Amino acid sequence: MERGFRGEAMKQPVVHIRHLNLKYKNNVVLKDLNWTINRGDNWLLNGISGSGKTSLAKIIAGQQSAVGEIDINFDTTSKLPARVLYVESWYQFKNLEGVANFYYQQRYTNLQFKETLTVKAELKLFGKENNLDFTEAEVLIDALGYSGQRDSQLIELSSGEHKKLQLIKALWLKPQLLIIDQPYTGLDVNSRKVLNRLLDEAAAEGVTLILISNDEHAPSAINRFALLEGTLVEVASAEELQLEADQPLREIPGFLKVPPNYSSDHIVKMVNINISYGEKQVLKNINWEVNKGEKWLLQGHNGSGKSTLLSLLNGDHPQAYTDGLYLFGKPRGSGESIWDIKQRIGLISPEFHWYFDSSSTVWQSIASGLYDNFGLTLELPYSKAQKVDELVAYFGLTDIKNEILGTLPLGKQRLTLLARTIIKDPELLILDEPCQGLDQQQTRYFNQLVDELCSNGMTLIYVGHYESALPDTLEKRIVLEKGTVKIIEDINVPETEPADFQQVN
Amino acid sequence: MANYFNTLPLREQLNQLGVCEFMENSEFADGVNALKGKKIVIVGCGAQGLNQGLNLRDSGLDVSYALRKEAIEGKRDSWKNATSNNFKVGTYEELIPTADLVVNLTPDKQHTAVVNAIMPFMKQGSTLLYSHGFNIVEEGMQIRKDITVIMVAPKSPGSEVRSEYLRGFGVPTLIAVHPENDPEGKGLAQAKAYCVGTGGHRAGVLRSSFVAEVKSDLMGEQTILCGLLQTGSILSFDKMIEKGIDPGYASKLVQYGVEVITEALKHGGVSGMMDRLSNPAKIKAFKISEELKDIMRPLFQKHQDDIMSGEFSKTMMEDWANGDANLLKWRAETGETAFEKTPAGDVKIGEQEYFDNYLLMVAFIRAGVELAFETMVEAGIKAESAYYESLHETPLIANTIARKKLFEMNRVISDTAEYGCYLFDQACKPLLADFMKTVDTDLVGKNYNEGKDGSVDNAELVAINEVLREHPVEIVGRKLRKAMTAMKAIKTV
Ligand SMILES: NC(=O)c1ccc[n+]([C@@H]2O[C@H](COP(=O)([O-])OP(=O)(O)OC[C@H]3O[C@@H](n4cnc5c(N)ncnc54)[C@H](OP(=O)(O)O)[C@@H]3O)[C@@H](O)[C@H]2O)c1
Repeated sequence: MERGFRGEAMKQPVVHIRHLNLKYKNNVVLKDLNWTINRGDNWLLNGISGSGKTSLAKIIAGQQSAVGEIDINFDTTSKLPARVLYVESWYQFKNLEGVANFYYQQRYTNLQFKETLTVKAELKLFGKENNLDFTEAEVLIDALGYSGQRDSQLIELSSGEHKKLQLIKALWLKPQLLIIDQPYTGLDVNSRKVLNRLLDEAAAEGVTLILISNDEHAPSAINRFALLEGTLVEVASAEELQLEADQPLREIPGFLKVPPNYSSDHIVKMVNINISYGEKQVLKNINWEVNKGEKWLLQGHNGSGKSTLLSLLNGDHPQAYTDGLYLFGKPRGSGESIWDIKQRIGLISPEFHWYFDSSSTVWQSIASGLYDNFGLTLELPYSKAQKVDELVAYFGLTDIKNEILGTLPLGKQRLTLLARTIIKDPELLILDEPCQGLDQQQTRYFNQLVDELCSNGMTLIYVGHYESALPDTLEKRIVLEKGTVKIIEDINVPETEPADFQQVN
Repeated sequence: MANYFNTLPLREQLNQLGVCEFMENSEFADGVNALKGKKIVIVGCGAQGLNQGLNLRDSGLDVSYALRKEAIEGKRDSWKNATSNNFKVGTYEELIPTADLVVNLTPDKQHTAVVNAIMPFMKQGSTLLYSHGFNIVEEGMQIRKDITVIMVAPKSPGSEVRSEYLRGFGVPTLIAVHPENDPEGKGLAQAKAYCVGTGGHRAGVLRSSFVAEVKSDLMGEQTILCGLLQTGSILSFDKMIEKGIDPGYASKLVQYGVEVITEALKHGGVSGMMDRLSNPAKIKAFKISEELKDIMRPLFQKHQDDIMSGEFSKTMMEDWANGDANLLKWRAETGETAFEKTPAGDVKIGEQEYFDNYLLMVAFIRAGVELAFETMVEAGIKAESAYYESLHETPLIANTIARKKLFEMNRVISDTAEYGCYLFDQACKPLLADFMKTVDTDLVGKNYNEGKDGSVDNAELVAINEVLREHPVEIVGRKLRKAMTAMKAIKTV
């Protein structure tokens, strides 16, 4: 690949791509792609899963190579750093060097020895490396409602909070070319609006934007729209970036039509539950009951305590050994092991995905759900292997069942983890932002599957932010705010977050 | 108190040193039943104490912590660790009398004092558990005859004990029953149940003895695991600075290099690690590691001899009685090394580059692993034990260096390991002085392959590969690693 950087001219396009070609295995992903990004143009880009959106972004950012020519022309007269910054759709904290050995429950464990930097220290370091003024970061922190996280350790952040941290860094740095892959995932309604305003401000100062998203509510600075289908197809507006759902639903495997084997009518009962880390209280006086077969939606702002609440249910939180917590009809800490609990629960969350060992194949990853461990090496008995095969077919993963999980697009990885979750026909399914990082079409397909899978009477707790991202089966809602229960109610038609939520800030 | 090992007749010494049996998975079919409903009280809530306790509780067992008064009143870290994770905490008087199983997870040097303080409170017929046999073997601690004394020793730092458990696996573990204290014959059943509670049964368990565990554990940690990693890291860094390599680059190469290089040991042993090198680099690394083995062998032997005779534990306890004078001095010196004080630079180093530019460390590791293993086996320790205490644990310790350099390593390991590590380091650096004069940046800091055409003598390469693969540590390693992965998939709890 030819990759040129020129410094001179304002007249030159910011990015000029000619004859770009990319193959993955035997598939052509990018085919003779040409793209000119002129100064003043800000693009919104979309494409189906596997269309190469992320690859294209990485190629422009110099993180991946391909055949073809790319020129990037920075404006030497600009105060903005002559850099391309790419913000990943789904940030893997694990990628940090030297901290690869964390495990995902670690952020719930109280350890006196602090292992990672605080958010503030991390930002200070970033500012120092890039000669930035910290007061500017303060403005972004406040605007994005991130003040509460200032003193948190990096390990304590949820995936949505990590994403915000990456966005804060990007908006603070203001590189001449900023590419953001799925900027809105994991952000609540209010943060999305703020982000759009901040992106508009950055564009006004001369940052060229490429956003990869199919969201209709893009910042107003966006003035060009394109679909990626091997080459770039320009369209007139964000609405035209919507893709048709094309995945047919298949017949659900027989073993999932049978209702789960419930041992109690009561799945979860919480009476005045409090959880704190030192001085910081993350859950206050929580009272909540989930009965068998119920379908719950759990909502709340980033940092409202949702993932802590869920970790209590899944046996992942050391402070779950407390009075007032009952799981499957029994008080917690009455001789059950976490493996007994996990055997009845299927769970996915972005954090779980972070720490999942993605070096196994799709087939093995699904099979490992039978044993609640990560990855699998042993042969399964025939009846169990057959269940895995049925699920692989149902989820449309047959073609890629022997591929290594970590090499696949995010959407396929999530489908694999959903299949892993469901393989034991659990009593309780916990889906914590299962669609984070997926586009709308993938999300729709995923939620249709959830509706189908739950129709056998499985109990569901689903965490999700937006109306488009919710399965129809949901019937009850619990909303957390700053660690307390704000709302518990029945819902008939799933709505967006309640109106008063949008006024916060 | 007399050194227990030295009071034994030779026949019995050899007998206990030779206890080593790889346990079948079926032996753990009873799960945690032998401890179900029993009160487990852990004394001390540090690296091992907290993490073992979290695992046991998550396995459905009843766990609480007895801490010394000062720790409770002063709300020390140990108290915070336990209470903030919702464990019941109490004094010895409050909790020990209720305990069916008392677990002593205080620092080894404190054991005599701690055991003397808790023994009067222990109920008739209860059990005392250790995670390291130092107190029993080296100090000859006498335990009341109605009490059962067992050992469950996870072969890894406490954080790993926890993280592997939560991944659904565990860490390899040694278990033992003290032959002088098994009045009811229940020791083994309880040790197995405890091992299941911590997850160790999923990763391979060796039935060992207090004696075999102590003599091999001390040897491993002093030489290859901590001592040599420390010496090798410091010498490598200093050499690069001497030769004008950028300090930030040097610091990063050394800090993360050991982790990346030893990761290869996990999968393919020493030969797997050497296979990461190009042919010419492998031949070179082989030759210098042979040279290193010759130079360091007497030092490895001295460490093993001093461990066997009790000389090591005697000097360590003397230093302790002397206010830890040497320990504190050496700890301070380690904190002041140029490597420790130079932050890792903001440079990208690719995975393969850690091998190609750090041949010296690959050679150190091969030499250290093989020497430690050979020396242990010569001293009467069985190959399986020697494997766990050398090759197996090396990547786990290397990981701590990657996190926060040598300071972190020495913080995480036990107090006996830290002392032994410095002892080795003090002796090893002068021993290698002449050798280090011959080392240039092709071995550390720059790519060894640069400017070479890659051609090698076929016969020589074949011969070297053969030597590497047929080493006894490789033969036993292949067997144990296979058993470990097979076990990973079987869920018994
Ligand atoms: N670290 C390892 O990698 C490792 C691996 C396998 C086995 N082991 C073994 O595990 C045992 C514990 O080692 P560790 O590394 O976990 O120790 P550690 O982290 O230093 O923790 C020791 C704990 O004991 C308490 N303690 C210290 N002195 C005491 C005293 N005089 N009386 C009562 N309590 C005292 C400390 O709390 P306060 O000071 O607050 O009271 C602290 O909670 C040792 O036998 C060690 O050999 C360690």
